[in-house]
Amino acid sequence: MPNEIWVLIEKARHSDNIAAISRELLGKGRQLADAAGTQLAALVLGSGMGALAERAFAYGADKAYVVDDAALAQYTTDGFVGAAAALAKKYQPALILSGASFQMRDFSAALAAELGVGLAIDATNVTIEGEQISAVRPSHGGNVINTIAFGAARPAVVAARKQSWPEAQEQAGRSGEVVQESMPGVEIRTKVTNVSPKQGAVNLADAAIIVSGGRGLGSPENYFKLIPPLAEALGGAYGASRAIVDAGWIPYEHQVGQTGKTVSPKLYMAVGISGAIQHLAGMRTSRTIVAINKDADAPIFRVASYGLVGDASEIVPLLTEEIKKRAGR
Amino acid sequence: MHIVVCMKQVPRDNSVKINPDLSINAEGIEQIMNLFDEYAVEEGLQWNEKLGGKVTVLSLGPEEWKEQIRRALAMGATDALLLSDPSFAGLDVLGAARAVAAAINKLGDVDLVLAGRNSTDDESGAFGPALARMLGWPQLTYVGKIAELDEGSKRIVAERHLEEQIETVESRLPAVVTVVKDINEPRYPSLLRIKRVAKVEIPIWSAADLGLSAQAPAASIAARVPPPPRAKGEIIQGADAAEKVRTLVDKLMESQVI
Repeated sequence: MPNEIWVLIEKARHSDNIAAISRELLGKGRQLADAAGTQLAALVLGSGMGALAERAFAYGADKAYVVDDAALAQYTTDGFVGAAAALAKKYQPALILSGASFQMRDFSAALAAELGVGLAIDATNVTIEGEQISAVRPSHGGNVINTIAFGAARPAVVAARKQSWPEAQEQAGRSGEVVQESMPGVEIRTKVTNVSPKQGAVNLADAAIIVSGGRGLGSPENYFKLIPPLAEALGGAYGASRAIVDAGWIPYEHQVGQTGKTVSPKLYMAVGISGAIQHLAGMRTSRTIVAINKDADAPIFRVASYGLVGDASEIVPLLTEEIKKRAGR
Repeated sequence: MHIVVCMKQVPRDNSVKINPDLSINAEGIEQIMNLFDEYAVEEGLQWNEKLGGKVTVLSLGPEEWKEQIRRALAMGATDALLLSDPSFAGLDVLGAARAVAAAINKLGDVDLVLAGRNSTDDESGAFGPALARMLGWPQLTYVGKIAELDEGSKRIVAERHLEEQIETVESRLPAVVTVVKDINEPRYPSLLRIKRVAKVEIPIWSAADLGLSAQAPAASIAARVPPPPRAKGEIIQGADAAEKVRTLVDKLMESQVI
């Protein structure tokens, strides 16, 4: 049997389930494993997280490698990379899939360097054809789509961008084999002494709908009067162009674009944003884009699925009301 | 304390083209210091002002990159080093980290390496972690504040600014730290300093100087294409704003976007 496909499992932040990204990766991993005729294994690293193995079986894993150790209670690069590298050397998986959050970028890049193997971060697709493993990853703000061909060294390490694949569906009654492994003797050189929630954190990368505002809104007062209420009516989050972040209207957390966040929601609404290439870099892969701008020649209309030319102060309140009325929120 | 800041030159925007040999063509686009690296340079300078010692700005790339190295020198970096070799042209991020690790080992007395959280062209964020592993040093990525940096006890305390939480992390030195945008406000180089560094000799180390032999990358670029064009959109027409808004909501609901 060809070598296994592994998925690094993350716990959901607000429940006992596995995280949405892990469900996505298990869905994709299942497909790849079936096509290649191999097994899909969950890699569960943590302390007291053994129950996540059962959850991973329900979402398609055949097997789980579990390292349950107090040293893994908090993410540290040394702890997680040490454990994953030791298991990878022992069991020789073909591919290790993880998410591409900041923590998972920290992990996957260090893991690939530690093992001397190939790496693709922010992958939007992975394929296996015979012995050839490849990954697709955008760079240059989505202006370049790279196909990375992994050489013979295994495992291929792939950190995947969120919302690249549908989440695996839960299947009741599935079970699998649990392989318990002990923590290897690695020195953990960093110590996490405190973890606190970020004030006003906005996880734009997770939002299915994002409404962003820009300089065309005229003032911060206008931004706050128009944009958050529309985002709320849509059940989404609100973002911003670099221009208004730099102008101090709203914190950096909200910035979408080349030096802010890259997002790919189901619906992205750009209000009063002209569409500088740096902004487009952060949102052009959104499924549906709506642009509202009074300048009919604004570049944003070139990527928009739907464009409304006009004054945001007039349009946005009408839109918010219409959505509340019709979409029942 | 000897701080090395890794700096990369990037195109100001990403409207690049792809050459037939799959290399990136950024012709006609102004080259600037990678924005996140500018924060790393500023952080290095601020700690150097407190602790003394050296701040070396280090870059891997063609000779033209001296321009941005000079900018870092004009901001206040005390030393500079360019790693340049024809064989570096096609290096991937892991290969670049290997070369930079060799240079840092050769410098010998480095306490801290700073870099931006990622470059705005490649966007992977893999350089810092890969460099740390190759040096065998601890890594602290996405740092938004360095609270303590102590040469005597060889200790650093920093805040990592993650998506939804802030982690306070302690580590020993030497270490590799990558920084995010909220860490500081980079200074502008003064005209006086720009003039003063205009003719400073910037040392160049080649692959041979670093004792590096060619090594096939563990993964390579098999194809590079522009993104598929977006389906042509439509400008919603209507007698007034209310009608346009109703039409838009109709369309979004029909296509089950909302």
